[in-house]
Amino acid sequence: MLSFFRDGFYKDFIVLVLVTILLGTLFSAGIAWALDAYFGDTLTDMIGEYGQYDIILHIQEESKEAAFRELERLGDQQFPGARLSETITIAGQANFFFGLPEEFRTKEVMANLPSYFAAVPGLNSHTIISDPSILIRGVHGSVSDELAQKIEELPGVRFTFTDMGNMIVLLEDPILAKALEEDIKEILGEYQLVELRFPMGFEVDTAQVGEEAIRLLEQELPGRKYRNVTAAQYGEDLNAFLKTLVEMRDFLLSYASKVRITADPEVYLIVGEQIAIQGQGAELAEGGMLTEGNVVIEITAVNGDQAEGMIIRGEIAPAMESLHQGGYRVFSDGQVARPIGQVEVENERYRLAYAIDESLRLLEELEVLSVQATDAVQNADAVLNTFQEALLQLEVLQAQMRQLNQGISGKDSTSSSEQLLVSLLINGLFQSLAQAAVQAGEDNLDSLENLDIAAMRASLDQISDQVANVQDIDVQAIINQIEYVRETLPMLGDEDIGRSIRLINTYIAGQVIPGERIQIMVENGQVDEGQVETVLRRSLDNPYLNIYSTSVGVINPDARSEIFRLLTEVRAIIAGLLAIVFTGAILMLDHAVVFSTLKYLRRAGRAKRLRWQVLNPVLLFGGLLGAVILTSVYRLSGAEIPYLSLGSIVLIGGLVGWVVARFAERFSPVNIKEVTAGQALGLSNVQIMREIVIPSSRPGLMNLLNRWKQQFRG
Amino acid sequence: MLEIKDMRKTYGKTTALAGVNLNVKQGETVVIMGPSGCGKSTLIRCINRLTEPDSGEVLVQGRSVLQLSDEELMAFRRKVGFVFQQFHLIGRLTVLENVMFHLVLAGADRTWAKEQAAAALAKVGLHDVHARKPEELSGGQQQRVAIARALAAGPELMLWDEPTASLDPILVGEVLEVMEDLVRSTNTTMIIVTHEVSFALRVAHRIVLMDQGQIVEEGPPEVIFKAPVSEIGLKYKKLLAS
Ligand SMILES: Nc1ncnc2c1ncn2[C@@H]1O[C@H](COP(=O)(O)OP(=O)(O)OP(=O)(O)O)[C@@H](O)[C@H]1O
Ligand SMILES: [Mg+2]
Repeated sequence: MLSFFRDGFYKDFIVLVLVTILLGTLFSAGIAWALDAYFGDTLTDMIGEYGQYDIILHIQEESKEAAFRELERLGDQQFPGARLSETITIAGQANFFFGLPEEFRTKEVMANLPSYFAAVPGLNSHTIISDPSILIRGVHGSVSDELAQKIEELPGVRFTFTDMGNMIVLLEDPILAKALEEDIKEILGEYQLVELRFPMGFEVDTAQVGEEAIRLLEQELPGRKYRNVTAAQYGEDLNAFLKTLVEMRDFLLSYASKVRITADPEVYLIVGEQIAIQGQGAELAEGGMLTEGNVVIEITAVNGDQAEGMIIRGEIAPAMESLHQGGYRVFSDGQVARPIGQVEVENERYRLAYAIDESLRLLEELEVLSVQATDAVQNADAVLNTFQEALLQLEVLQAQMRQLNQGISGKDSTSSSEQLLVSLLINGLFQSLAQAAVQAGEDNLDSLENLDIAAMRASLDQISDQVANVQDIDVQAIINQIEYVRETLPMLGDEDIGRSIRLINTYIAGQVIPGERIQIMVENGQVDEGQVETVLRRSLDNPYLNIYSTSVGVINPDARSEIFRLLTEVRAIIAGLLAIVFTGAILMLDHAVVFSTLKYLRRAGRAKRLRWQVLNPVLLFGGLLGAVILTSVYRLSGAEIPYLSLGSIVLIGGLVGWVVARFAERFSPVNIKEVTAGQALGLSNVQIMREIVIPSSRPGLMNLLNRWKQQFRG
Repeated sequence: MLEIKDMRKTYGKTTALAGVNLNVKQGETVVIMGPSGCGKSTLIRCINRLTEPDSGEVLVQGRSVLQLSDEELMAFRRKVGFVFQQFHLIGRLTVLENVMFHLVLAGADRTWAKEQAAAALAKVGLHDVHARKPEELSGGQQQRVAIARALAAGPELMLWDEPTASLDPILVGEVLEVMEDLVRSTNTTMIIVTHEVSFALRVAHRIVLMDQGQIVEEGPPEVIFKAPVSEIGLKYKKLLAS
């Protein structure tokens, strides 16, 4: 067979193989690149070019234009050279890509990036997409700084910053991502968070139990560092919230209409039971159904034949100070059952409003009085009394309001629910105050009848002085303030109040609120969750104790780089498949003629017949050629098919080559007559190839290259 | 000039040649005859090693053909004209190119090769078909082109493997005529495999009868066909008489 390649045909053949490889590479890489470019462009339009942008701003669609202008302004003023691009709008939300110029990509800027965009109109949320990066989710606050420091020491890491509980690690090169992920995993692996949870209802001193747990762990599982990192703010927040709820409930209770029930003999009421009264609706009758306007009351306390309750459905007339009606039991489907006794409802809100109005009236009178002091001398005493009383109460009120305001706004919270709470509480406080004022007024009216005018005159000078002082006081300002309070009284009905109280009660009652928890950070190596559990359970001796072990952060596959990686992968796969297809095709269509000629020459020649066709040198040569072409094209076109090592590619190439050589005559039959004629005429093998075999073979690469050497063009 | 000693060739279980010995003198015309499959083609192809014999010896002017290197073999083949039963022309080349191309590939000057080719074509009676492709010719013409091709290099030995066997009977005559002319006008040594008995009778110096891979009888035509000793010889005698 070797003689076949003598006389320079090996040169032809090497050129052919090289050109084949080059062409194959261009073919595979070219098509794969074109596909990649096409899909890549589409993708880039959607998710932004890799590494070009730092943040996606999710903006309400209506504010799109305004947001765009603001972002442009931000780019111009804060980050000259910034890139801004709008992408798809999904579900009423527009998305803008914002990319910082390289010089602004610093730790300081990145860590505060969201705050730069706080004023962008319609901003819902943001996603940091700086690349190349690694995203660590759920980084525990207590180790975040320590982690950042360790990670930043890794070579290839530019810096880290946190955003909404995630840590973003910016890299110098995307190539490093895989290796750095491993390094970071290792660092994360040095920490472990052990959480002890006690169910609701257990009063646990977290600090003390935490110390105890740490002492136990240090003793039983030494060699690690334990630290109590029980997330303080979580517990405090919850406590404050609970307290707020309780205060709110108490206020609502005091603000709700008071229901007093006097049960008939032989009637026993229980807490939680519901009874109905007529209210402003139709008269109730046993066996009938509740109608619009009837009022349903839930019993909240029972004491002998006396019970208290609150309205959970319906309203008593707004202006009605109190109401006496007969009460009936009701079933949950609204059917009225037996009568139970007398129900008295007092509308506290009405009384409150009345008291305020009364104060206002008196205050207005006072003002008039102070201008015309002498004309109003008969009423001066009473007015003064009332005024003094009101004045005193107002001072108390103001002091209380200040205190309250400080107490609540001191937490630096601006949530609207707490604002609502403030106003509710103020009203609640004012209620008792106003009542006091009303009583004072009534007393004074009584005493007015027994007024000793002489005594009054005697003290008139003194009174005049005092009245004169009134003019120095800005009564109008006080009136305004009280009027404001009056106007801001919550417009809650009894039904709303009742429902709110019930809701708060179920909430406080517990299922929803988690119990106490203690978090212990374990450093310098992991401990076995089971071991920790045995140690703690044995010593802390609480059957309800739950012990969990979690990581201090989880590396999140970055979706975008994942997509881009996938795209490159797809390109590499396509290139790989194309390389295989190309190799098979070129061998079949072009090179097969070499195999079939070789096989014919071997048959005619002196070569010994082989029992094992597999070892036929022509087939082996075909395999070698296939392996060389495929492997080269595969490597040069940057192809990569997952799970296929280079060894398997060599094997596939070899197999394709072998098969093509095996069936070469089918793809490219030899014209035996012409070949034997050439032999008989004393032509060398290379001449036979160049002048007889190749020219009459299928037009292709080999045919084309042969033209340079061919002497008879025919 | 040519000496074949104990030549053997088998194809698997089929024995094509079972020890053939043959001597051919310079200028002699030997006609080989025998039934189909008796090994005539194999024998003749083994002389220029289109088929490699399993064993034996081929001596041409004292040199062992089987020992020749690739280059020597090529040079030897150029001095041996071979005419195939099915012409074996190169389809993509013109008639003229078919007759000259091997001269050019052997290193000859193109113009000279063209002259040689034209002369050889003239010798077989072809003049105005130079530019045609083989497929545009009749079978007889094609075979004459093939003969011209074999002649062009001025061979010292010519091997003919049934040159008229695949021709239309009415075309056989023109080829035989050319062959007879050649035998008479040149002194080239010829070994001709043919079934044309009367032709053999006219041109052969010696007739060799083969059967089952062996030479069963040989001698001058008048002897072979008058008093054959072999079975095959008797059959040919009968054929001639009829
Ligand atoms: N390439 C081959 N492979 C296998 N067997 C072959 C081959 N060539 C010839 N033979 C066998 O060898 C024997 C001799 O064949 P050969 O062609 O020499 O006969 P032949 O006398 O020329 O016959 P014909 O007059 O039909 O041409 C035959 O039996 C034939 O089948
Ligand atoms: Mg034959």
